[in-house]
This record gives sequence, C-alpha cells and structure tokens, in this order.
Amino acid sequence: MTTAAKPLARRHAEEHEDLRQFIMHDPLPRGKMNAMAMESMHATSPIFWVVTAVLAAIVVFALGYEWYILIMKGQGTAGVTRPDYWGVFLVNTVFWIGISHAGTFISAILRVLKIESRRPFTRAAELMTTFGLVQAGLSIFMHLGRVWLVYWMFPIPNERQIWPDFHSPLMWDLMAITTYLLCSTMYLFLPLIPDLAMARDRTQGGWLKPFYKILALGFRGTEGEWKNLVTAMNIFAFAIIPVMFSVHTIVSWDFAMASRPGWSSTVFGPYFVIGALHSGMAAVAIVLFLLRSTMKYYDYFIRAEQFNTIGTLMLLVSMAWAYFYFNDYLVPWYGGDVWDKLVQEYTEKGSLAYLWYTMLIVNIAVPWATLWNKKWRETPWLLAIVGLLINVGMYLERYIIIPVGVTINRMPFTWRQYEPRIEIPMTIGTFALFLLLYMIASRIIPLIPVWEVQEGQEAHLIRKIGKAEISTLSEME
Amino acid sequence: MSESITLLAMFHDIEPASEGVEKLQQFGLDDDDMNVISGIPIKHSILGRPAAITYVSRIGLFGAILGMFLGIFFIYGIPYLYPLLVGGQPIFPIPQGFIITFEMTMLGLMGFSFIGMFVDSGFPSYTPKQYTPEISDGKVALLFSCPAGEQEKFVDALKEAGAESVAPVEARHL
Repeated sequence: MTTAAKPLARRHAEEHEDLRQFIMHDPLPRGKMNAMAMESMHATSPIFWVVTAVLAAIVVFALGYEWYILIMKGQGTAGVTRPDYWGVFLVNTVFWIGISHAGTFISAILRVLKIESRRPFTRAAELMTTFGLVQAGLSIFMHLGRVWLVYWMFPIPNERQIWPDFHSPLMWDLMAITTYLLCSTMYLFLPLIPDLAMARDRTQGGWLKPFYKILALGFRGTEGEWKNLVTAMNIFAFAIIPVMFSVHTIVSWDFAMASRPGWSSTVFGPYFVIGALHSGMAAVAIVLFLLRSTMKYYDYFIRAEQFNTIGTLMLLVSMAWAYFYFNDYLVPWYGGDVWDKLVQEYTEKGSLAYLWYTMLIVNIAVPWATLWNKKWRETPWLLAIVGLLINVGMYLERYIIIPVGVTINRMPFTWRQYEPRIEIPMTIGTFALFLLLYMIASRIIPLIPVWEVQEGQEAHLIRKIGKAEISTLSEME
Repeated sequence: MSESITLLAMFHDIEPASEGVEKLQQFGLDDDDMNVISGIPIKHSILGRPAAITYVSRIGLFGAILGMFLGIFFIYGIPYLYPLLVGGQPIFPIPQGFIITFEMTMLGLMGFSFIGMFVDSGFPSYTPKQYTPEISDGKVALLFSCPAGEQEKFVDALKEAGAESVAPVEARHL
C-alpha cells in the first residue's frame, strides 16, 4: 500500500535551477564590473563606424535635405490634403511617444515594485525615452510646416496680443510632452551621476576626462550625497508614472476630443496608454537584444532572466491591449451609428484592410502564441523578432487610427485615400536618428548602471533551506 | 587646542567599515567628524550612523506648490487677461483646469527635487576634495578628523577593525 494519495510528479529540470545563473547571485568585484562597463564603451569595431556613417548619411539626407524641401516647397510635397490633413508625421509622433513610454515606465514601475532583474537594463530603457521623445518632437515640427512659428504656442507677451488657449488639447499636449521630456531626462541623469563619477575616475585623459568630470558634478559618494540622490530618485520613480499615463492619455484626447467617427471614444485614453506600453516594451526587447549581441561583456549583465521579465510584461500588455481594443471596437459596432459603421467597414473590408488584419495578427496572435513559453521568452533573438513584429503592428494601428481614420468622415464627397510621399524618407530619418543617437550614447555613457547592479548583488544571498537553495533579498535601502 | 588631522581609512567591505565607525564612536569622535564614502548607498543603520538629513523632498514639495499655482495661472489667469471664446465653452472651466494644473504641479515637483538634489549636495563642485578612485571600485572609505597627536591610536584601532590602510589624505581635484 502506498503512502501517497496521488502518484508523485517526476522531478522537473527547473527544480534544480542553479541560482548562479542570475546576475544577482553571480557577483563580480566592483572594479571588474567597472572595467567591463568601460571597455564595452571603448571596444569599437569598424562595423560600428560603418553603420554610424550610414545612419548619419540617412539623417543628413532625410532630416536635412528632405526637410529643407518640405519647408521650401510647403506641405504639398507631403501626401496631406483634404480630408487627410493628419498623416504620417502624426503617426510618427504617436508612435515615438509610445516608444518613449516604456523606457521610463519600466524603470520607474520596476523600481517602485522592487523587481530586481530590472537593475542591469533600466538605463538602456530610460535612454529610449529621451531619444524617442526627440523623434516625437521632430515629427510634430514636421507636421507643423512653418516650424519657425512654434513660439506662437508659448505664453509670452507678443505684438499680436494672441495668447495660447490652454483649453485646447493641443496645448495640453505641448505641456504634457514638455513635462515628460524634461522629467525623463532628469530621471535618466540622476542614477547616471555615480556611474559618471566612476567613468571620471577611470578615464586618464582626452576630451572624455573633462566631459565626465563636469557631468559627475564632483560626486564622491558621501552619505549625504547618496541620501539626496536616492530621495530624488524615489520621488521621480513615483511621480513620473502618473505623468507617463497623463501624456499618452492627452495624446489620445487630441483625437478623442474631436467629434469624428472612429475617434470620439471614452476608452481612447487607457487604450492609448496600453498601446504605448505595448510598443515600448517590445522596443526594449529589441534594444536589449542588440546591446547583448553587439556590446562586449553585455552577456554578463543582460541574461535570460532580463529577457524573461520583458517577455512576461510584453505578454501581459498584449492581453491588456487586446482587451482595450475589443472595447473600442465593440461599442461603436453595437451602437449602430452610421458613420462609425462606415469607418469600421472601410477598415475591415476596404483597400487597406490587410493593414488591419496584419495589426491584429502581430499584436495579439504572435505574442500570445510565443510568449507563454518561458524558454521562448528567454531566447533573445526570438523575443527581438516578436518585439519587432509588435512594433510593426503598433505602427499600423496608429496609421489606421490617423490617416485611414480621417479618410471616412461625415462629408463623403471629400473621401480620399491618403498616400504618404515625402513623409516616407523623413520617417526613415527619424528611425535612423534614434539609432544614431543610441549608438553614440553607447560609446560615451555607461549603459549599465554598475552601482545599481552591485547594490543588488550586495542585497542578494543564497540561503539553504532543507534540500533547496533559496534566493533571499535583504532590505538595503 | 590640539591640531586635527584628516585621515582616510579604506575598507574592502561594509562589515569592517561599520566596525571602524563603531571604533571611532568609542573613541568619542563626534558623528559630524566622520563620513562614510562608498560606491553604493548604504543604509545608515547598517553603518550604525545617524541618518543623513535631506531637504530634497521639502524642496520638491515647494516646487510642486509653485508649479500648481503656475498651472492655475495658465488655465485661469491667461483667459482672464485675454478672453478667447471657443465653441461656447466657459472661459474658466474646472475639468480642463485639472490637466494643466496637474502637469505643472508634477513638473514643479520633479524639477525642484532635481534642483534640490543639486543644492543640498552642493553640486556642482569642482574644488579639491578628499577622495580616492578606489571608492568607485567598491572600497568603502571612512573619512574622519582626529587630534594629530592621537593619530597612531586611531590607525591601530581601525586596522584592528579590518581597515586595509589608514593614511592622512589631502584634498585633490577629482
């Protein structure tokens, strides 16, 4: 007679998981980690310079020459005309703001929730926010046309006696994006200070020595300096989360406040926020894959556990996005408003219906089919491909909302299918500039927050309980 | 009054550094006369030291209030000065007022917290300081002042606590 009520499960391979595979349980001396972080910045192959030169050439052509053409010849060189006054430039704006969201959000929310696997990649994510917002800002200026008149939006005394209307969603947008850009940049800089001080200490000469010296601000690591820094970082981590939510909600209101079929939706705010996170998380996966593949020693800092964390978040966000999308889809479908019906029919059965189906497949089916599996989540190249597909899907989603959405309006005689023209090279230019800025930054500032990694390693211990080794975390802060 | 000397004791880890702090306290050294310099933040209770005072959150709170009033000015003051009627909307709406007020409040909070960190830490400061680059490589330093005549006593005690070196330190450019 057996003593067990049920047959025992066979031992699973995961039960013998070696805790030392996690970076927090695989510490190296701080000096060694510093050396690795510094060497990874300086170990530059010729391919790096070739790629940099190509990206720089694209930026000069697309954002220099083409923008010059756009300014000199006017918005007629773009595909925007009645009724599609909002085209790809605004698609890019929304897309890049979305990309920028995950960086700070991941860093802040994981810091607040004390998710330890965040430590090696928070800066890589935060950097995406700053550079993503740069592209978003440029895209607004492209859409603006006469960019030199942007100061009309500032509340400064002027001879025209015209002041900006702060009741307008577009002014809310300006204020929110400016707030987010400034706060994200400050939030990027704060935890960078100790690493800049480390870089200052390890740099002997050249232009980088004064560069690090100035930016390190004279930081030594005294008790008072750490206290002030950690306090400020905690304030930012908590405060920047609602700001992040507000920014994309306000971006959604640019559309939802208009009484236009397909746009006037009360669910647009949270739907846009979750959409931003969807594309942003996916972009973090791509960035982590690229960093790990191209930067020396990054296979030590960025491991399967980091990809697992991002992959899990991507899956959760994908489910949330599907939920909100279904809400946004079902209510107008059921409501029976003729104009809403027409927008939905055009989206699903019109000449651009393939965009809609592609969007649903890559935003929902692909992540759900792949990211449920831990092994797949921990496979960097696979996660990067899923991330890339999600970003294609999220770009299409914005394209469907904006130019495809404005095609169907309450004046059928104006209906016209939008076709981007000069927008295409300029869009490529924003992607090239984003990559270029990131590549340059990877050679100047330590992308790994070494002090945060060491802090985590100091706090983690392996404790043996019974036959098992358990990871324990001490409260160090 | 005897002359004082500034010494820098280097420890390889937090544990002996906290022992060193305890030794200095036993010798009657005031907490204001010593400072722990490290490559990571260490909680004051781990070191057996009083908590460092910070004004960052108070400065941040001041900024938040300032930002809130600026936001209120933008949303209500500007339409008062230059009324602009749009689509039958009121000049002084309350719901819309929350948005700009919120953004400016948060900008004030974070902007002033950032500035507060600079002000409270005395940043930027490029004057010579007592420091050694080994600190950013993971060593924990104990910087303290003691009477010059008693230097040997302090050095012996700290070496007993686990200090790798205890030596007079001069301020230098970082």
